[in-house]
Amino acid sequence: MSAPVHTPHIDDHVNTDPRAGFTLPVGPLHVALEEPMYFRVSVEGETVKHVEITAGHVHRGMEALALRRNLFQNIVLTERVCSLCSNSHPFTYCMAVENLAGIVVPERARYLRSMAEEIKRIASHLFNVAILAHIIGFKSLFMHVMEVREIMQDIKETVYGNRMDLAANCIGGVKYDVDADLLTFLTRNLDRVQKHVEEIYNIYRNDPMVRGRTVGVGMLPQDKALEYAVVGPVARGSGLAVDIRKDVPHAAYPRLAFDVITETGCDVHSRAMIRLREALESISLVRQCARDLPGGDLVARLPEIPAGEAVARSEAPRGELIYFLRTDGTDVPNRLKWRVPSYMNWDALGVMMHDCKVSDVPLIVNSIDPCISCTER
Amino acid sequence: MSYATELFTQTGLGLLGLLVFPGGLFALMVGLFLKGLDRRIEARLQRRVGPPLIQPYLDIAKLFTKETVMPASANRTAFLLAPLLGLTGMAVCAALLPVPGVSGGLPAMGDLLVIFYLLPLPAIALMVGGSASSSPFGAMGFSREMTLMFAYEMPLLAVMLAVAMKVGMATGGGAEFSLASIVNYQLTNGQLAFDPVMIPALLAYLLFLPGTMGTVPFDVPEAETEIIEGPLLEYSGPALAFFHIASALKTVVVLGLGVALFLPGTVPGGILANIPWFVLKCAALMAVSLTLVKSATGRFRVDQAFTFYLKYPSVLALASLVLAWRGM
Repeated sequence: MSAPVHTPHIDDHVNTDPRAGFTLPVGPLHVALEEPMYFRVSVEGETVKHVEITAGHVHRGMEALALRRNLFQNIVLTERVCSLCSNSHPFTYCMAVENLAGIVVPERARYLRSMAEEIKRIASHLFNVAILAHIIGFKSLFMHVMEVREIMQDIKETVYGNRMDLAANCIGGVKYDVDADLLTFLTRNLDRVQKHVEEIYNIYRNDPMVRGRTVGVGMLPQDKALEYAVVGPVARGSGLAVDIRKDVPHAAYPRLAFDVITETGCDVHSRAMIRLREALESISLVRQCARDLPGGDLVARLPEIPAGEAVARSEAPRGELIYFLRTDGTDVPNRLKWRVPSYMNWDALGVMMHDCKVSDVPLIVNSIDPCISCTER
Repeated sequence: MSYATELFTQTGLGLLGLLVFPGGLFALMVGLFLKGLDRRIEARLQRRVGPPLIQPYLDIAKLFTKETVMPASANRTAFLLAPLLGLTGMAVCAALLPVPGVSGGLPAMGDLLVIFYLLPLPAIALMVGGSASSSPFGAMGFSREMTLMFAYEMPLLAVMLAVAMKVGMATGGGAEFSLASIVNYQLTNGQLAFDPVMIPALLAYLLFLPGTMGTVPFDVPEAETEIIEGPLLEYSGPALAFFHIASALKTVVVLGLGVALFLPGTVPGGILANIPWFVLKCAALMAVSLTLVKSATGRFRVDQAFTFYLKYPSVLALASLVLAWRGM
């Protein structure tokens, strides 16, 4: 037996002569990307000629883990798929179980579920536009947006006891309740957030620096958006009015008034605008939930979970989230599979990055708000 | 005998100027202080506490205790010499710098032109180091730095010519490239910052500063979120420290040059009052042209930065130059 010989080697594709064009590794660890993903960007001068997307850096085998846990334990597991959409996963998973067993969720729980979902959406969207400012080097704007997001974090901590994982959902209902004091706290803080978000919206809408870097960058024309079947803010930024909250009525959404926000710019700027306008829309949704919150039970009485198959869909902050569940009559699922929004969106990066500049690569990647830990799980 | 004494005194003064004051130690201390102040003000503008003022000194000290790791495929000589190239250039520039009311700086023939030629050295050092590191990010930074340098050197030249022309025309024909004479002219005839003809040149100089210092919105060659610090990516330990020291010296050089060209006014009280006064003016120039600007903007793309420099500072500086040349 001989010890493996470690020879330092240089990637033969990395050619550093700028005239010949070279390959720039963006990732797997890169300051502008919050999560590990790897793009091999072939560059000529400052212009990107080809992008190769490589996945698989944070695969944790979660779908296999789900098959070793019972239906209740999987709520905890799915909550840990990803931090930014940590409410959407258990929320959709629980809906899948409920669809399978025909459980009717009490009215109050429906409102509380929508409320948790929208609170997470506001924080997630603010985080994404903050990162946009960070990428273009606009540090003061980044700090400002993150400071406003911090109010949302305070709300989450006060209402749910946690800054990221809310642990709000359980099969047949919710695990938390709010009283009049909490609702007052919530609405008072939402007023603060709304004032700030409106201000931030105007900055992103009008600031010449933000516009100069984002308008016309990362174009995804509407026909390409349809072709790649993109979802969430990416689709809505290309003028497609797709929103699972409207298309597939669930939780309290059929009883709440809200608009599907669309922009027609098809660029990075439009997607940022979508997120800020949706944050405002979500503030109004949380207010409606707090105002109309009906009384009653928090959890439905649970029947035995039969063998069968079910699907549930919801609108996570990044777009459509689908859960598929198959049971065999035991308490351990036979198959649990989910399709996350980033999976649909990141293939479209190839279109968005066509002939873009190197400096726009992180901006374009951030504009689909990629969630790698969801996608690779 | 007297020639030998003269030579000895001149060499001694030269070394003193290069190593202690106004260059060398003094410039380094002031430069690091200004860097710390810059970070502190920026933090306050973002409602952060910010690092202690002593942080840049500590950072340099720490880097000297670390090892310089070199990529296996790097060109060793160029990689290690590049940081020293920038450092020496800036050390010489700092020695040439007049501190009004304290010292006239080391005299050199047409020292304004000497400074103009030496000023791009840190940028060139970055380019050399970046391409020697054999990293694609370094190569990217190389091409960006080169593009940007062409853009911001042009307004600098126009500003220098405008000031030289203004002082030269007033003191009897021809452009005046001696920094000492430029300072002396202003001490008797009023500072150029308050001369309406020279205000466009001052504005152009203020716009030139963030470009040459590589701060937002012109930090394109190092852009952390795009090409992860480009040329500096592969540097570590003392080699990186030399880049930081060169950058600290450059801060003093470009700000001190701004003081000498536009604001050389002195305060009564001799050396003890005029050294802090000089530092204060540098800090004020820095706050206006670097700290506030970087807090209020994001980064340009390299093509946007290039167009910006061709459009605004060049036109402003040329306006002053033409006016000064017409004897106004």
